[in-house]
Formats: sequence, structure tokens, C-alpha cells
Amino acid sequence: MGRICQGALGRAALCLFIAWTGTASAADFKEPAALAGLVKDGKLPPVEKRLPEKPLVLKPVEKSGKYGGTWRQALMGGSDSLIERSIGYTRLVRWNPAWSEVVPDVAEKIDINPEGTEYVFHLRKGMRWSDGAPFTADDIMFWYQDVLMNKELTPAVPRWLRSGSDPVIVEKIDDSTVRFRFSGPNGMLLENMATTFGSDILAAAPAHYLKQFHKKYNPDGIDKLVAEAKAANWSALFLNKTSFPGRWRNTGRPVLDPWKLTVPYGGTTQVVLERNPYYFKVDPNGQQLPYIDRVTFDIMGDQQAIVLKAINGELDMQNQRLNGLETRIVLAQNRERSGYRLFKAQPAWSNAMCIALNQTSKNPVLREIFRKKEFRVGLSLAINREELNDLIYAGQSQPYQAAPRPGTALYDEQMATQYTKYDPKAANEMLDKTGFSKRDAQSFRLGPDGKRISFAIDAATSRRYQIDALELVRKYWAAVGVEMQVRAVEESFAFARMLANEQDGLVWIGGGGYDFLGLLDPKWYFPYENQAAFASAWGIYFQNPNDPNAEEPPEHVKKQQALYVQMQKTPGATGQFAVMKQILEITRDQFYVIGTNMEADNYGVVKNNMRNVPEVMPDTFFYMTPGPTNPEQYFYE
Amino acid sequence: MLRYVLRRLVYTFATLAAVSVVAFLVIQLPPGDFLTSFSAKFAEQGGALDSDALTALKLRYGLDQPWYVQYWLWISGILFRGDFGESFEWNKPVSELMWDRFGMTVLLSGITLIVTWIVALPIGIYSAVRRYSWLDYVVTFLGFLGLAVPSFLLALALMYVFSRYFGMSVSGLFSPAYVNAEWSLAKVGDLAMHLWLPVFVLATHGTAALIRVMRANLIDELYKPYVQTARANGLGEMELLFKYPVRVALNPFISTIGWVLPNLVSGAIVTSVVMSLPTAGPLLLSALLAQDMYLAGSFILMLSALTVIGTLISDLLLAWLDPRVRYA
Repeated sequence: MGRICQGALGRAALCLFIAWTGTASAADFKEPAALAGLVKDGKLPPVEKRLPEKPLVLKPVEKSGKYGGTWRQALMGGSDSLIERSIGYTRLVRWNPAWSEVVPDVAEKIDINPEGTEYVFHLRKGMRWSDGAPFTADDIMFWYQDVLMNKELTPAVPRWLRSGSDPVIVEKIDDSTVRFRFSGPNGMLLENMATTFGSDILAAAPAHYLKQFHKKYNPDGIDKLVAEAKAANWSALFLNKTSFPGRWRNTGRPVLDPWKLTVPYGGTTQVVLERNPYYFKVDPNGQQLPYIDRVTFDIMGDQQAIVLKAINGELDMQNQRLNGLETRIVLAQNRERSGYRLFKAQPAWSNAMCIALNQTSKNPVLREIFRKKEFRVGLSLAINREELNDLIYAGQSQPYQAAPRPGTALYDEQMATQYTKYDPKAANEMLDKTGFSKRDAQSFRLGPDGKRISFAIDAATSRRYQIDALELVRKYWAAVGVEMQVRAVEESFAFARMLANEQDGLVWIGGGGYDFLGLLDPKWYFPYENQAAFASAWGIYFQNPNDPNAEEPPEHVKKQQALYVQMQKTPGATGQFAVMKQILEITRDQFYVIGTNMEADNYGVVKNNMRNVPEVMPDTFFYMTPGPTNPEQYFYE
Repeated sequence: MLRYVLRRLVYTFATLAAVSVVAFLVIQLPPGDFLTSFSAKFAEQGGALDSDALTALKLRYGLDQPWYVQYWLWISGILFRGDFGESFEWNKPVSELMWDRFGMTVLLSGITLIVTWIVALPIGIYSAVRRYSWLDYVVTFLGFLGLAVPSFLLALALMYVFSRYFGMSVSGLFSPAYVNAEWSLAKVGDLAMHLWLPVFVLATHGTAALIRVMRANLIDELYKPYVQTARANGLGEMELLFKYPVRVALNPFISTIGWVLPNLVSGAIVTSVVMSLPTAGPLLLSALLAQDMYLAGSFILMLSALTVIGTLISDLLLAWLDPRVRYA
């Protein structure tokens, strides 16, 4: 796809560009069949007038396609992120399909100074919103001056747009160039922009549409609009138009996406989108994308109903909500009957079940026990992961710690496999080293307070297989004299307990896995935030030392947190990975989290006659599956 | 009679006031608030919402106030302005969300109720009159089966069968092609094609229960002396049956009307979720899970109001139907 290059001189800068821009000239652009009639009647300008001067030329996965068809998907409930992922993945920069780098999207080219403090975005000249209005630097400036810098709309500037406590400064250079300037280095700006955050910029950018809802530009009429919408105040009304999921409930909002809404996401009726006639990408033959004319989302209440749709051939391409072992088997069984094939949706995290013992638990005795590394190592050695694999994961998995996946830049074999070998004897020896070697009448170990070591681990009821696995772990641990209870709790309740640092132990999916996931979401590598369930209070300290639940962490944690701050300031993936490796060395030595088995691959369905869908893609919110695989170039044969 | 009605009305309002307080408290009982689940969603995406932003949101939604202040804001809006507040999760006025779902909910519950009665009444009467006949055994067996099988399970099984072997699109009330279409004969036809399955699932349990109740009640009546007297006086079997014992045995049917109204909202939530029905139940469930206070609170208030009013109506009907109730 694109490429990042680094110049030798300071001012030469890093740049991103598209390798094959310019292979199609204006004369070659081809009109999508569905729009030919409108153009002929004069209701729509011809394709070369709708495209920017330099459209993005997208190389299809397999071959150039033909126009037509409807892509049917299904959403669950009222705020499903799939809509944002599959047809809303348009931003200034995006992930490449392999998730190995950031490439240009709406921006044609980005210049970065070597310090990582200045980012110059070159927009495409002549680009237009889906309603035909021009898209220029002024739109980005509207987002910056009137949304991001407006205290009523953005009470606090998000961390990824700050350097320390100083928010970004955005300047207009000319009509198609803007500069993002930071007071200190912000090395992760482009990576963050490629995740879900990036869509918040473009959603709040169409100034010509949004000004009517902004108090500054419509001081007289705004009260009437607020009253009509029955909104609490003007900022609520405005944010309903721009933030997720409100922005999908509004057909009026102009977009830069391949498709635009015609029936909004209201919760009961089917959501419908039709092709955006002003979309800025073409294929190498000059055909304006997308190939597919229409996208629909049925709204379902239950995951099983979505699985049913999939096996009945009523979903054309989807992997969301089709996870799980049992589902995989049913999906495979119905392939021929319903005319679809499977593609691999590889979980981006590495572990199907991380066991986090809270080292900052509110119970002082447990805290003392959990902080002993020998205790954690002993418990890890006591787990029979091969048996877990056979009984719970149908042999599809393998023993693994909460570590980067094999084949990634950050992969560390020792970290991935240490203490995974089932060895009850070594486990007992290791546990004896903690000093808790005295046992009670039932042969359970006694803790520092002279009472039996006993604690509960929270498991979300929505992941039943984790509860089953944890029951087996309970048995393994009882065999080495440690009593654990499985506490099955509703997922959001478990989450609320974790945020308040109320859990003694918790199991969750996790472990960095893919490189960029570990970089962007390192909560399983060190106490990064309140979701680092093995030491919530230390993580809270990193985000906000003044929080009532925060506790000052020990030196090794502070070092990791300092390194992470350093990495955020480092521009370029190579430099970032180097720092991340230092963080991971400490993680490996500390062994915070007990991993069990690697998460087995999941599958999604794709109709046999739909082409240009990659056979493997990472599956995580940080990658925005399947957005980066360029759904605009999917087509029906 | 008028005093009876008035007294009941006073009780009704007292109950509703108490329920509204309790409902509001119960929703606030679990740890965290709407912002916990909101920030959970944000944190999932990388933790960009820091404590300043959370404080600002707390202010915007009024979540920093003690519960009684929040309660007053909510209840005074309802009492004085008819304003149920805004749903945090949907960013829409609560009343709009509730009305959106109301039509389909009434339709579905109404049809289910009618089907239940049409099926349960004759069968119940038959199996009481022809007690221990083979058909009675069959009906009794099916009745117990209907009572025992959870309706969501029945729904899942039927959905699988119909989609796997008949290729029907079984979720929701419309085929994908008609969901967004304007109302037309074809759309009504499509609705009819889809309606019978949820109605069947939802009616099974109620029908089975009513058959049992009807049978038991009627058997009690059939052997009372007044029936014998009427028969001795030469009254025809059919006329006798429908004029006296059946009328008396009908009382429990009338009592069920009290349940019909609240069932409109909360009836068979799990089944509605499984079948992706656009009714009120799934909305209530998601509001409770997300701690979307005003939406959940308004729903519970509505539910209580409907229960109380439903009970009132059924009591009045009973009083009208059966003089013994009136004078008791």
C-alpha cells in the first residue's frame, strides 16, 4: 500500500505516500452504473467532476470488480460498533490491511518532522462531501476551533491530541494543507488517528452542515432547533450529531465514507446505506469505488439470531458476533448449503483467559500473598494447560502466556512460554518458597495471618467457557493447597468492580498479541489504567495520581510507566518497538498475569460470489475490523 | 360502587408514588452509574476519557447530585411538564423511545391474548366436562409440556427449524425487504407471515396455564348442588353448562386482564430479545443493563402504573360480572 520514508536531513522529514498514485488520468474515470442515469438527467455532475484532482487509487485484493449488489450485515442492539467499523472506516490516515503500518487515506500525504512535534496533512484538492460540498482545510479548522477548543463541546481534550497537558494546535497553511503542532513530541498521533479516534475528527468536520447546530454560528435559531429535537441544550444536540452512536442516527450528516445513510440506525428498523457519489477512491482501471451499491444492517436482539442469519446465508460478509467454538462448528457445517466460505478473523489479543490476581486488592492479606512472584509462578505451573486445551478449546488452542503473538516484532519466546509446563511438584516447591508452607486439616496452605489462603475470582457470565476453564483451574490449584472460588458475575458488573479496584481476582480475554494492540492498549503488560486488573490502583495512579483509588506503585512499575511515556513521544514504529521491548522485559520478569491458552482463531462468513475479501484479518476494535481491508473494493462476481 | 372506585383510585396514586421512589433507588443500587458503563466503552477504545472529561459529563447529566435531587428533577419533570427526561444511551427523549415501541407491543400482546383465550376457553371447558377422556389426557399432557418448556427455548428451537428447513427469515416482525417499506397490503401480508411465530411462542405458556385453571375451576362447579338442581329441572345440558358453571368459572379469566397491561411492556422479555422483536421488553432490558436511569425509571413507573390500573379494571369488571364480589 503506502510507505513511510525517513529523510536523512532534519527538514526532509518522514513522509507517507501512495505508491501508485497517478496511474489513472482524468479521462479514464468510469461512471458507476447506478449513477449513470442521474448524470444523464443532469441531476449529478459526471464522475470526473465529482472526484478530487488526485483520487486515491486502490489496488484490489484479487482483481478489479464490477458494480452492483447489496452487502447485508446484522447489528445487535442500539449501539453496535460494527457500523462504525465496516462502513465508517474513513479518516485522515488508516491502517494498511496487514496492520503493519499507517497509510494515507483522506490525506494525500503527511510530512512529519523528526522530533514528532509537527504533522503536516496535505488534503486532496477538489475533494467533496457526500452532499457535493467541497471538503477543505476549513472543515478541519472548524473541528479544531469550534469543536475541540469549545469547552462546552469538549470539556477536556483527549489524551492522544495532547502533549503533556498542552492540547494540539492546528493551523491552516492553505486551502488544502493543515498542520498539527504539539508543544512536545507526540509519536503516536498517526497510530491513534487510525483507530476509532480518527473518525471523531471527520464526523465533526462538515462545517457547512454543522454550523446551524452551533451556538456561535446560529445564535438566534439554535434555541428553536434544540426545542424541536427535545434536547437538553445546544451542546447535547450538537454532540448527538457528531459522536458515536448518535451520528449514525442522522441521515443529514455529510460523510466521506464509501456509503451514506438513507435509513438511520434507530434501533428497530433496518439500517440502509447507499453509495456516496463523491467517494474519493478509484480502482486501477479508473472505476469509481465502491463496487457495491447498497449496504443494509438488520437489527437483532440476540447473538444466536445473528448466527442463525449467518448459517442461513442471509449475511454477505461479517465476522462480528460470530465468535466462539460452537459457532465455528455450525458455520463450517452450513457452508455448502448456504453458499458461503469462511475467512479467518484472528483475535488480536493473545490469550483466551488471563488470570489477574489483584496486587492492589483492598484485602491486605491477599495483597501480600499476590505480590510474591513465587506464588504466581507456582500457580501457573500448577495449571494443566494441555487438558484445558482438550476439554475447553477442543484442542484448537495452545498453552500461552499473556505475551505478543508469534511472528510479531515484539514476540519473545521465553515470555510467551515461561511457566506453561504442567508440573505440580515444581509448583508445590515454588509455593513453599513463599513461606506459606504450613497446611490446615484439609491440606490447604495457611497465609501470613495464619488463616487458609482463600480468594474468589470474578468471571463474566457472558464468556461461559471461561467459567468452565476456571472451574478446572480451581481443581488444579486445590491440588497444590490453594483455595479459589469461581464467582460468575454479569459482565458490566464485573467491569464496574474492576474500575473501582474491588476485585481480588478477575479473568478476562487479553494479552497484547499483535504489535499495535500492545502499543495502544498495554494494560496486560503493565499497570496502564484502571483496567489493568492485576494492579488496578497502580494503573489508576498512572492516569490520575489524585484519584481516590490511586496508589503509588513500586519502582519497577514506575519505570515501565516512564518508558511508556517515552514511547508515546517517539515517532516511527521502529523506535516505538525498541522502547516497548524494554517495557516487555520487565513484564516478563515480573510475571504479573497468569496466562492460560492462546485464543483460537475465529471465523467470519463471506458469500462465495463476493470477492476481494482477504482470507485472514486481525479482529479487534483497535484495528476496526473489517474497515482496513477496504470494503469499498469488495464486489459480487 | 362510586365510593369503591374512589377509594381504589386514592390507593392507586399512593402506590404509584411509593413505586416511583423505590424504582429510582433500585436502579441506582448497583455500583457505578451510566458513566461507568460509558467510560468502560471509552476505556475499551484506549482510555481517552480522563477524569476532567468524566467530571464534565457528570455535570451535564446531573449525576453528581445526590439521588433525591436527581429523583426530584425527574419526577417534577413528569408531573409538571409531562417530560420523562432524556435517555443517556440513545440521546433521545424517553417518551419518543417508548412511543416508538408501543404500537407493535400493543398489537403483539393483544393478538397473543385473543389467541390464548380462543384456544384455552373451549379446550378447558371440554377437558373439564369430558374429564379423563383420551382427549382430556392428550390436552393435559400438551398443557403440562407448554407450561414446562421455557418460551425462549421454544423460540430458539422453532427459529432454527423454520430457518433451516423452510428457509424463512424468522427474526423480527418483517422480512428484510419490508422492514423499511411504506405500509401496504403486501407489508401487512408480510407482517402476518411473521406474526404467527412469536404469537405462538408467547401464547403457549399462557394457554397451557389457562387450560389448567379453567379445567380445575369448572370441575369444582360442575358437581355443585345448583347444577344438579338445574339439571333436575330439565334444563338442556349445553344451556345449563354455559349459563351457570362456565360463567362462574370465568372469574380467573377476568383477573388475568390485570396482567395483560403490564405484560404489554415487560411480557416475555427474553423471548422478545431472542426473536429480535421491536417491542418494549428488549429496550427496558438494555436500559437497565446500561443504567440508563431516566429510561429505565420511566419504564418501571409505566409498568407499575399499568399493573395498578389493570388490577383496578379487572376488579371493576369482576364486580360487574359477579355480584358476590361487589357485596363482599
